[in-house]
Amino acid sequence: MSERLEVLILDDEPIVGKRLKPALAKIGCDVEVFVDPRAALEVIDGKDFDIVVTDIRMDEIDGMQVLEHVLKKSPRTKVIMITGYAMMALAREAMDKGAFDFISKPFKPDDLRKVIAKAAQALGSPIDFEAGADNGA
Amino acid sequence: MSSIIISADLLSVGQMIAERTAQALGYTHLGRQILSSVAEKHQVREEKLVAALDEEASLWSRLSRSRDDLYLAYIQAAAAERFLGDNVVCEGLSAHLYLRDVSHILMIRLLSDPKVRANQIAAQQDIPPRRARQLLERQEKRRRRWSLRAFGLDETDPSLYDMVINLSQIEADKAVDILADTVGYRKFQPMTYSRQCLQDKVLASQVRAALASRFPEVKVQSRDSIVVVQTRTLKRNKRQKAEAIKELAQRIPGVEYVEVHSNKDFLRQAKNSTD
Repeated sequence: MSERLEVLILDDEPIVGKRLKPALAKIGCDVEVFVDPRAALEVIDGKDFDIVVTDIRMDEIDGMQVLEHVLKKSPRTKVIMITGYAMMALAREAMDKGAFDFISKPFKPDDLRKVIAKAAQALGSPIDFEAGADNGA
Repeated sequence: MSSIIISADLLSVGQMIAERTAQALGYTHLGRQILSSVAEKHQVREEKLVAALDEEASLWSRLSRSRDDLYLAYIQAAAAERFLGDNVVCEGLSAHLYLRDVSHILMIRLLSDPKVRANQIAAQQDIPPRRARQLLERQEKRRRRWSLRAFGLDETDPSLYDMVINLSQIEADKAVDILADTVGYRKFQPMTYSRQCLQDKVLASQVRAALASRFPEVKVQSRDSIVVVQTRTLKRNKRQKAEAIKELAQRIPGVEYVEVHSNKDFLRQAKNSTD
């Protein structure tokens, strides 16, 4: 891989970012983790990320708003939605608004790595998925 | 890519629209042609499978009802797994009643002109139109009862579908165009979540098909290769039954763990205590 992928993870449960950051770093991602959507949006306004991974259900600003905000600012960014409250209507709404993928919690770090690898492929920057492939991250 | 399930009040119309839509999209048409392989696999006569899909078992015959449930379990397992390959247009297998809540499957209900349907019955049975209309009404009621009994859903309820097309107002060609266009919407594209939902339903239906001949009452759910089986049992044979269910379910490829939840079989227990 020529360049590292810039990834932002936003989830109001700190454990999510804490677990995912090292798992994604292993496959060549530079990861910034946020628990506060406002702080995340401020950073997004100043920088184009390749991939944004966002929880949907959060206080004040929800993941759908984050999705719209990100794509308005940077249409090439791949936004991956994660939620513990997955339902068909929500999944369809996310895809309709331009989400790259939608994953229900709980998931294994490997599940997200696969989706990140797919997003990297779509961005034209394929990554070595096997480099970080294990379920223990 | 996405798939389409068509439910139609006239089987022949659903089949015609499904075939044409599949052709227009380059998808696979999935219909009753799979029943011969299902029949062969389970050593059942194909007519029995067709009857289980079309006719309501006698209200008084518990045996024929549980046999129909068994045949439907076989059909469900066979049909569901064919959706894993995507790009399917399915009709005639009642998949709209058991592949619900998979966001990349577009659910369609087709309504034919009641006059056309009545005329078809009149011609087939050589009866006057008025009598044909009465038969049609009875058929509709029976079909509704069948879907409620077999899957707990009223298939005539429009809220079960993403779209209902009235073919007395929209021509068949136009309906095919509408379906081909709609299935391309972003909201119907597969995603990790919807693929997982489908995979879970496929595994649950395979486990149910494996259990149904010995344990017709079981309900099966699956999530990420973990299977939960609900059954009714007497207290004294609870453990043996759970072990037998686990043993059968674990033979299905993809099953990693089986949990059996037993509810007391109050009816049988009461019967035994009075014997």
